[in-house]
Amino acid sequence: MPPEWSGSTARATRSPGTVVAWRTTRAATRSGAVWGAVFAASVISAAVSYTTLYTSPASRRSLAAAYGSNHATTALFGPAPNLDTVAGFTAFKVGMSLMLLGAVWGLLTGTRLLRGEEDQGRWELLLSGGTTPRRATAQALVGLAAGVVVLWVLTAAGTVVAGRRATVGIAAGSACYFALAMVATAAVFVGVGAVSGQLAATRRQAAAWSATALGVSYAVRMVADAGVGLHGLVWASPLGWVEELGALTTPRPLALLPVASLTVVLAGVAVELAGRRDIGSGLVADRSAARPRVGLLSGAAGLAVRLTRPTVLGWWGAIALSGLLYGLVARSAGSTVTGSSVHEVFTRLGATGSGAEAVLGICFLVLAVLVAFVAAGQLTAARGEESSGRLDNLLTRPLSPVAWLGGRLGIAVLVLVVAGVLAGVSAWLGAASQHAGVRVGAVVLAGLNLVPPALVVLGLGVLVLGLAPRATSVVVYGYLAWSLLVVVVGGIGSTSHWVLDTSVFHHMAASPAVPVDWGANAVMVAVAAGLAGVGAVAFRRRDLAVA
Amino acid sequence: MGNDDTPAIRTRGLTKRYRGTDALVDLDLDVGPGEVVGYLGPNGAGKTTTVRLLLGLIRATSGTAEVFGLDCRRDAVAAHRRLAYVGGDTSLWPGLTGAETLHLLGRVQGRVDDAYRDELVERFDFDPGVKVRAYSKGNRQKLVLIAALMTRADLLVLDEPTAGLDPLMERAFRLSVREASDRGQTVFLSSHILSEVEALCDRVGILRGGRLVEMGTLAELRHLSALTVEVTFVGAVPDLSTVPGVTSVAVDGPVVRCQVHGPVEALLRVLADAGVSALLSREPSLEELFLARYGGDTGPDPTVAGDTDDAA
Repeated sequence: MPPEWSGSTARATRSPGTVVAWRTTRAATRSGAVWGAVFAASVISAAVSYTTLYTSPASRRSLAAAYGSNHATTALFGPAPNLDTVAGFTAFKVGMSLMLLGAVWGLLTGTRLLRGEEDQGRWELLLSGGTTPRRATAQALVGLAAGVVVLWVLTAAGTVVAGRRATVGIAAGSACYFALAMVATAAVFVGVGAVSGQLAATRRQAAAWSATALGVSYAVRMVADAGVGLHGLVWASPLGWVEELGALTTPRPLALLPVASLTVVLAGVAVELAGRRDIGSGLVADRSAARPRVGLLSGAAGLAVRLTRPTVLGWWGAIALSGLLYGLVARSAGSTVTGSSVHEVFTRLGATGSGAEAVLGICFLVLAVLVAFVAAGQLTAARGEESSGRLDNLLTRPLSPVAWLGGRLGIAVLVLVVAGVLAGVSAWLGAASQHAGVRVGAVVLAGLNLVPPALVVLGLGVLVLGLAPRATSVVVYGYLAWSLLVVVVGGIGSTSHWVLDTSVFHHMAASPAVPVDWGANAVMVAVAAGLAGVGAVAFRRRDLAVA
Repeated sequence: MGNDDTPAIRTRGLTKRYRGTDALVDLDLDVGPGEVVGYLGPNGAGKTTTVRLLLGLIRATSGTAEVFGLDCRRDAVAAHRRLAYVGGDTSLWPGLTGAETLHLLGRVQGRVDDAYRDELVERFDFDPGVKVRAYSKGNRQKLVLIAALMTRADLLVLDEPTAGLDPLMERAFRLSVREASDRGQTVFLSSHILSEVEALCDRVGILRGGRLVEMGTLAELRHLSALTVEVTFVGAVPDLSTVPGVTSVAVDGPVVRCQVHGPVEALLRVLADAGVSALLSREPSLEELFLARYGGDTGPDPTVAGDTDDAA
């Protein structure tokens, strides 16, 4: 045979027996490192901001008095003992959000690396060769464990660094134990993702099931902490176990037992189930036959709506729920802020409203991050259509690339605007139900105020899609993580303005605490449009890039 | 439809280079309206690159490509109104059913012959009520084929369209292409299934290393290659290796096999003088032509002859 007939050269860089372990380790540790950096920065920021905001013992005592016995905040964010200490405050401030973030990371990474890789057909070659589904799953779990370890190491490092400050004073041992508590949910939900990955028909379905499990865990813990005499329920939820670990307050290492056992059992079950199913399908039968629903399928835009609808509805629900929760706690949280140095800071920035509005101003930063995530998701979904080759089906028909991209972007903008309105309206509803004294106009505008940063993320995504399509996802999510990191670390106060300016969230006014900055928003929208315009031109001029 | 003499496909100096490697070099290709043209080449020869250039999915490094006089890149939308494309390894939306996919692709195309679609669904024995995720590769390929054929487009651009089809479906495919051709549709069939091209195509182009090395009717191409001759002698076996045009002489007792390039007159004269009890001659199959093109310096080996042996 002449040389051009010989098949592709095999790249046998690793022994086929361990290639899955290597691949997952690489992917999981990378992602663990990014999230670990965010975890570490959050811990440092919380600890340091406490020492600068609550300097006097009196201010610390009043904070503890306000939150320590507040059932609303306890139900939402967990119990808050020892708020008059740096350690206690830090555990309360970041505890619940890191716990939830860790769980989300675990279920997304778990389903992506176990099931997503398989759905893309990347395992088929390996499984036809030197390994079995069970062994491959076990190897992938080893890789995921490495990712959790990296997450823990970085979180612990951040806590140790913060703890060494004289004003903070957290011992290294306590710091490591605290970090362990913060990544415990990640480990458990890697396991949940692994098991649902064996049961569900697709990666997306597996992620949705795991997210439901997380929602139930949160709800159970919420009831347990709501002060209605059902505290025993805390043992029925993995999030409750982590709470019982009592990191930085009253350590109870015994609560590690259920965490570790459940993780190990889930991993074992996943490995066992992996051997019982066919590649590319779940154990729970998928409805493969379906009556045609062609209502939306009259064009590319309708198709995009149909394809992204489940994800978008999920995000809208999450954003509306978060807004509602923030609204619900705004009043009680606001009463502790009024008169404190936090309120002073906002007043100096031009805050005109109540303490509740000041609190919402901080909370809306979290919502801004969520809305920006929606933008990133919309963009990477569009790129996914191209990289998978599915876009070929549309662009080989009478549809121009720019018209397709324009349709996707139009839908994305609409999705973001609705997300902003939902955030504002739900936060107002929550706050109004508590008679928090917030102005409906100010809060709804604050919701819309979340859209411009998301548009910048979208515009940046289009630019990368046009110029370096294969880097789209990395750049968009990387920039989001960076922006988040900068504002979180920026809260410490020693960051240079030049660095702060690179974060898109830094340019968003902290509404409703302060009035919406229309000038900055106009600039952001213009920047987004400019980036998207250049990106669209580049997209039109370049080759279609299938991964 | 339209100007009957506008070529369906016309490329001049069409070249595509990727980071220093030449995927396609200086392609001059003409496909007339109503023609069925085969496009052959081994993996990596540049077939798919050509197709993607014709579809305007990628940009030419230099040269021009037109479909019905429309620039493949600048006027892609107008060109796509007149063509339909089938790829060999098409990704579809896993959550959509076959029927939903056909509906969507028909609406995006803007032109569907509904009756013909139903006929094709029947012919290809295709169940449209199932989600794409659950289809086998062959069923997915049927779906893509039906989506293209149902448009009755003036030009069918087919890139390895029968990948994954069983012989029955391969037959249904050939029937559909002949139907299209009878209706005056133009077909550009890129393939490495030689019997398919041989059965369907008026003209054949052969691509090698990004260059079009041969283009002509099958008859023309055959003349470029050798005729295989097998002679059984009654008496003494004469030395044929000195006869002009004769090569690859193999003697097996009274049986001699050889190849003849060009006119066979000289060989016939030698054979007439010797006692011949049997004479077989066979034109090269497309497979042999193809192997001759790619098989290095050795000529076609009669043992690889396919199912096209003709006694002469």
